[in-house]
Amino acid sequence: MALKVAIVGDATSVAGFRPLGFAAFAIDDPSTARDLWSELESGEYAVVLVTEPVYEVLADLVAENLDRPIPAVTVIPGAGSAGGVGKAKLDGAIVRALGTTALVAEV
Amino acid sequence: MPALRVNPNRMELMKLRRRRSVAQRGHKLLKDKLDELMKEFLARIGEIRRLRAEVERELLAVYGSVAIARAEAGRASFMQALAAGTPVELVDVSERNVMSVRIPVFQVRDLPTPGGYSLVTTPAILDGALGAVGVAAPRLIELAEREKAIELLAAEIERTRRRVNALEHVLIPQLNDAIHEIGMKLEEAERSNLTRLMKVKDMIAAQEAESAP
Repeated sequence: MALKVAIVGDATSVAGFRPLGFAAFAIDDPSTARDLWSELESGEYAVVLVTEPVYEVLADLVAENLDRPIPAVTVIPGAGSAGGVGKAKLDGAIVRALGTTALVAEV
Repeated sequence: MPALRVNPNRMELMKLRRRRSVAQRGHKLLKDKLDELMKEFLARIGEIRRLRAEVERELLAVYGSVAIARAEAGRASFMQALAAGTPVELVDVSERNVMSVRIPVFQVRDLPTPGGYSLVTTPAILDGALGAVGVAAPRLIELAEREKAIELLAAEIERTRRRVNALEHVLIPQLNDAIHEIGMKLEEAERSNLTRLMKVKDMIAAQEAESAP
C-alpha cells in the first residue's frame, strides 16, 4: 500500500518539503490545524510530521490515534521553536510502558 | 475485593478448580508475553532517542540553510520557487507482527528531484538546502516509523500488564478463596453428617437396650 507523507507547520518549516513530494500544509496560525486533522487521519497519509506549536494544538487528537498503526504522527522542531516536545512525547510512551523514565538511560 | 458467589457443592468445586488452572496458565503466558514485550521495548528505546537527537540537529541545520536562501532570494521568489511540486505517494506501507502487535513498516520510495523553479532568480544555496532536506527526509520517515512502533508497543505493554495484574491480584485470589470456602463447607457438611449418624446410632443402641428383656 503506497501512501503520502504530510508535514504541517509554519511556512518556513515546511517550505523545503513540498518540492520533494511531501504534502506540505503551511499554516500561519497553529489553531487552524484542528480543521486539517480529519484529512490527515483519513488514511491517505502514512506519516504526519507536525511542528511543535502545531502538536500542542493537536495533542488530544493525536493521543486518540496512538493505538492505530497509521498515521504515524511525529513531532519535529519548527523553525524557531524551543525543542523538546518530541522527546517529551517519546517519554510519555516510556512512562506508559514502564511507569517511569528513570529506568531508561538518557542519551 | 468482592468474593465470588457460588453454590458450595462438589460440581462447583470441580468447575472452580478447572477455572483456576486455566487462569494460572493464562497468567503465566501473559507474564511471558509481558517480559518479551519489555525486552523488545527497551532494546528499541535507546536507539530511537539517538535517532531523534540526530534528526533534530539535521533539521535545525536545514532550517538555517532555508532561512539564508530566503534572505538571499527574497520572500516572494523564494515562496514561488518552493510552491512547485505536488504531493506523491512516498512510502510503501506494510505491517510486521511483533508479539501480536501490528507494527507498520515504511519503505521510502525514491524522492522526486526538486526542480521547476528558475535557476536565475533563486540563489545556489537553495539547491543545497533542498539537498539537505532530501537527506533528512528518509530519516524523518524512519523516525516516524520507529516512534509509532514504540507507541504501539507501549500501549500493548500497558494492556498486558493490566491483564496480568487482574489475573494475579483479583481473579486467581477470588478463585482460591471460593475453592477454600467450598472445601470448608463440604467438610462441615461431612462432619455434621457424621455427628448425626453417631447420634442416630446411639439412639438406636439406647432403644435396643430399653427393649431388651
